[in-house]
Amino acid sequence: MTTRTDALPTQEMTINMGPQHPSTHGVLRVILTTDGEVVTRAVPDVGYLHRGLEKIGERVTYAQYMPFTDRLDYLAAMNCNCAWAWAVEKLAKIEVPERAEYLRVIVCELNRISSHLIAFGSYTADMGAFTPFLYGIREREHVNDLFEMICGNRLTYNYARVGGVSGDAPPGFLEKTKEFLDYFEPKIDEYNNLISYNKIFVHRLANVAVIPAEEAVAYGLTGPNLRGSGVPFDLRKDEPYSVYPKFDFKVCVGTGERGTLGDCFDRYMVRINEMRESIKIVRQAVAQIPDGPVLAKVPRLFKPPVGEVYFRSECPRGETGIYLISDGSVNPFRLKIRTGSFVAMNIFEKVTKGLMIADIVAVIGSFDIILPEIDR
Amino acid sequence: MEALAISLVNAVPLLAGVPLWAVTLLLMVVVAAVILVFALTFEGVGSLVLRKVAGDIQARIGPNRVGPNGMLQFLADGVKLVLKEDLIPANADRLLFKLAPYFAFVGSFAAFVVVPFGVGLIAADLNIGIYYVMAVTSLVVIGVLLAGWSSNNKWALLGGMRAAAQIVSYEIPVGMALIPAVLIAGSLSLQDIVRSQSGLLGIFGWNLFHNPFTFFSFFLYFTAAQAETNQTPFDLPEAESELVSGYNVEYSGIRFGLFFLSEFGDMFIVATLSTACFLGGWNVPFFNAGTLPWIWGNLFSLGVFLAKAFTMVLIMMWVRWTLPRLRVDQLMRMAWKYLVPLTFVNLLGVSLWLLVFKGKGIPAMIASLFG
Amino acid sequence: MGLKAYMNDIVEAVVTTAKGMRITARYGVDPREEVTLQYPEERWEIPEGYRGFLHNDIKTCTACTMCVKTCPVDCISLESVRGADKRMVLASYDINIGRCMYCGLCVEVCPPKSLKHTSGYEMASVTRGELILHFIAEDAAEIKARVARQVAEAAAKAEAQAAAKAAEVPSSGTAEVAKAAEAAKAGAQAGPKAAEVPPSGTAEAAGAQASAKTAEVPLSGTKAPDVSSESAKAPVVEPKAAKEGENKE
Repeated sequence: MTTRTDALPTQEMTINMGPQHPSTHGVLRVILTTDGEVVTRAVPDVGYLHRGLEKIGERVTYAQYMPFTDRLDYLAAMNCNCAWAWAVEKLAKIEVPERAEYLRVIVCELNRISSHLIAFGSYTADMGAFTPFLYGIREREHVNDLFEMICGNRLTYNYARVGGVSGDAPPGFLEKTKEFLDYFEPKIDEYNNLISYNKIFVHRLANVAVIPAEEAVAYGLTGPNLRGSGVPFDLRKDEPYSVYPKFDFKVCVGTGERGTLGDCFDRYMVRINEMRESIKIVRQAVAQIPDGPVLAKVPRLFKPPVGEVYFRSECPRGETGIYLISDGSVNPFRLKIRTGSFVAMNIFEKVTKGLMIADIVAVIGSFDIILPEIDR
Repeated sequence: MEALAISLVNAVPLLAGVPLWAVTLLLMVVVAAVILVFALTFEGVGSLVLRKVAGDIQARIGPNRVGPNGMLQFLADGVKLVLKEDLIPANADRLLFKLAPYFAFVGSFAAFVVVPFGVGLIAADLNIGIYYVMAVTSLVVIGVLLAGWSSNNKWALLGGMRAAAQIVSYEIPVGMALIPAVLIAGSLSLQDIVRSQSGLLGIFGWNLFHNPFTFFSFFLYFTAAQAETNQTPFDLPEAESELVSGYNVEYSGIRFGLFFLSEFGDMFIVATLSTACFLGGWNVPFFNAGTLPWIWGNLFSLGVFLAKAFTMVLIMMWVRWTLPRLRVDQLMRMAWKYLVPLTFVNLLGVSLWLLVFKGKGIPAMIASLFG
Repeated sequence: MGLKAYMNDIVEAVVTTAKGMRITARYGVDPREEVTLQYPEERWEIPEGYRGFLHNDIKTCTACTMCVKTCPVDCISLESVRGADKRMVLASYDINIGRCMYCGLCVEVCPPKSLKHTSGYEMASVTRGELILHFIAEDAAEIKARVARQVAEAAAKAEAQAAAKAAEVPSSGTAEVAKAAEAAKAGAQAGPKAAEVPPSGTAEAAGAQASAKTAEVPLSGTKAPDVSSESAKAPVVEPKAAKEGENKE
């Protein structure tokens, strides 16, 4: 007697998701092994955007590397710029004027808002609601206008310099920043009403790809992905750098409000709430910013002392750590960059077991990965 | 159709010598052509309106380059689709691949036959109208399934399988939600259902306000029908962010265009069915279009019907640009755990209501109270 | 799942959907919410300090090569020769705008502030060569020959003066000058060829590096686009180079 499975043998199907796929956020390739709609294994295949950024760092000077950090995470170029500047300053022990630090914090937090807006927008678009994406883009344009005003470009800012920033805020910049914050703050509630608490949206995200706190720490997740699991770890608080200790803000963590702690919805809500905290920081920074120079005296032929340094800063996608070895010449001897998105890819295979194809999209979106950061 | 042919032969002496069947056939072809032109125009304009509505909702402008204010955009799109290369994947099942779009298009187009556009404007007033619509629109799923299978693409296959599961599941709530209207009218003919909602009660004569159960029926039908026609938030078969473009991922040119047209045709059919079954069809409050001369009465009722139907289409677009998409298991859960039981409860409620109150609705009872 | 939770589910779905639809409806009916900028007809205000196409004002440029050295992607190339008054004379100044990443580092280091970002951001070209902006219209070889001639003349003058004094104070320095002058003459007679093998005495800056770069020039295209009204006058069509460029492409 033949059983049913003998008569109708089934087998698993291997599907290639990406590198050209609308919701892999770039050129991520995921090799899916599925049983119908259920994914039995999803292996991320990274490397399609490798440009050798770390190697480039060894052949250009410290100042010349600044524009390349724009390309590290093009949605948060300000944060990467500043991370590089802070790392080099830590290596060479350069005192940075206070006004420059305030300007850096303002642009970093504005960039965090614009980056989280893209994360929010593209995530909703992945979930099938296209409208919030365009609302997010609309608000981001205002941030881009501000950045265009302060540094002259809309995407690759190249604003920070070793020892300060490239230019002081033009007249009217701080007022416009305040105007933007007043305009933007109520929009967050609108997003929540429009999509965040929508029944379908909550159902798509809640209890999907739960990462317990211990596991998140064990896999080295950072940033909103770690905080989504309820771990209140934020480098701006726990390892303060720049002028962050002067500001009052709270670390947003996932609460498991609609499902299990550490699910996709928590990671999503952490980003939404972080935008409010960033608004708070920018408001304080704009109010407190002192006058003064914005660029320390750094010799044109900049040669840091021999030594090595690891500096990490809180970028929108987690910790961006810069490990730098200097041999005393004008070029770095070795440069290694640690990024949040790359680390998130490690846990991807583990959390996607047994999910559906639509959930794979939800997981990719909830990690808010960006490919140039993964591949560098 | 034959009755119309007889009256035509009687009215026009020139046709006296022509056999009746020939006149009937000619009439059929003419009517089919008129409906086809209407359907294509609607589908074209519908795609334009969809994009315009999307633009408005998303704080954009939408297409505005082709023609005045972008009004001819759909013509440009159509020309583009016709002129594009018709690609067939190397390993596709060529016959089925070519056949699939026709199934989808015919399925949605054939339903136009029984749409009661006006007092006398109906291509064929079948006495099984609703049943017929349900039957032919199911043909769409065959087209979608064939497209998914024959493309020899895994994404397309997944889309096709999703479509099959979805449409088969949602047939039940759609049918069950429409039955209250049938019960009230006592007929499956759409024209009879519309006529049953005319009368002196005006807007309250519509089935929507007949009793609480029919009120819910309307919303249940609308939800289920959106799912049956693969509209967002139930557009899983094509889910562009998951399955890239689902079942039609390998199609290009006019074959893709046919799928596209069938989607809009389905949209219109849902709008017309909800209009005819719940919103009074071509009826307007306190005015009987049937009393007007034939031509004016029909034109007037056509206008009323289209206005109602287009409003429904607009609402569908509005929903489409607001909601995210369900997951496939959630979709099934929604059908079997929510819509199917609720429509059955509703059906039971309507039946009991009709039994207890002798077929009278709440407005009619209130009206009789006041004499 | 109890009946209450079941009903709650339905109510919540309806309420949240209605909430969302209210927001989309508000945007849908309010025409003031449209934020589209209809680009070719409407343009946004470009702020001061915008980093558009690069423009070099060659009149003030001192050919110090700071921009070349600081550019992370090597998109600037220049050739220069030492003029009669000991100052560097630009023979060619090209910016490959297709390679430029608008980081602004070159502008920051420019000592005479001759290199600037304009507000230009629109450019379309059919060939890749057109993306190379030539800020000096004249042929580099001609400039070099001319400068060499001037140097030679100056040297000849100096030699004459030196010869007058030579009887009194013969010095090793004059001998060198004379040698240089001879070499310069030879270069001037040789004409355009001189650019490729410049005599050592005259155009030391445009040495081996220059010859390497001249090889690149014919590959490059025709003219710099009108990046802005102020820069429009600087780059002029170079018909010969254009033809060659097209042939090569």
